[in-house]
Amino acid sequence: MRIRSANRALVEQVDSMAQGVAQRVIDPFVESLDLNAIIARVDLNQALDRVDINKLLARVDINRILGRVDVEALVKNTDLGALFASSSKTLVTEAVDLGRDHAVSMDDTLARWVSRLRRHHSEPAPPESANAYEEP
Amino acid sequence: MTAPVALGQPEPIPRPGGTAPPAGARAPKHRRGDYAGFASRFIAFTFDCVLSIAAFELVLVAASYAATVLTGSSIHWNKGDQWVILAFLVWEFLYYAHFWTTSGRTPGMIILGVQVVGRDGTRVGTRRGLVRTLAFPLSFLLLGLGFLGILFRPDRRALHDVIAGTALVYAWDARDAHLRSFAREGSGRQ
Repeated sequence: MRIRSANRALVEQVDSMAQGVAQRVIDPFVESLDLNAIIARVDLNQALDRVDINKLLARVDINRILGRVDVEALVKNTDLGALFASSSKTLVTEAVDLGRDHAVSMDDTLARWVSRLRRHHSEPAPPESANAYEEP
Repeated sequence: MTAPVALGQPEPIPRPGGTAPPAGARAPKHRRGDYAGFASRFIAFTFDCVLSIAAFELVLVAASYAATVLTGSSIHWNKGDQWVILAFLVWEFLYYAHFWTTSGRTPGMIILGVQVVGRDGTRVGTRRGLVRTLAFPLSFLLLGLGFLGILFRPDRRALHDVIAGTALVYAWDARDAHLRSFAREGSGRQ
């Protein structure tokens, strides 16, 4: 029993010493580090390539995060109504532009057909002598 | 560059271009003021038919409801009834006359970006708008031959346009529409 309690006391002493050393050594060491220089040496693209996004996302509880979002404050701060209105207006404009463009294409196609038809009817028949000239 | 045409917004009257655009000519020519072709006119007319008939049906339903509330007896409208047909014709006249005399653009024309103007490019006005509305059925009654002018005349005017001294022109800017389309494609890629 005595040996055990002596061991425990020793462990506690070593533990507190280690903590003291760590505080005195590690903190100044970390403070002396130039993080910008270290980051500059890290190839972030390569690091990101090694990250398995799916695994990461599987560990994230999206519902919990969303539950913490203050939706009312978000709506107050962002003019969502104007955003929706602007996007729907863009959609309508796009649809109208597309429809008009198609209609104009059809107008042009019809005009082309009609102009071909008129040319076909208005073209004079080739003179008979022309055929006679070509034939041996 | 001209201002983009927005639905329902007043805009300057486009001047007729004098001749139909050359066959095969496409945007980015801006089109505003060119004589409108058959397809645009036909699609606009189809839209107007659907809209005016739907509005007429709504009026009938509203009248029936009002009669039920006021007199207690409901009215059943027989579509073949001469009074309903007469009411429909009056309704159609009012629909086209109202839009052609005021802005020169029916809702269908607004969607398709075409506008009725005077032959000289001036605002269509009450007199010409009314004459056009009255002459419009003539183009149908002559077995549709009144519409052949849209295909064969260089100024693409139908019989009712010739009678009323009007023309139908594009009132939208195809070049602006193309620029908007490019802008959207560009922002979509980013």
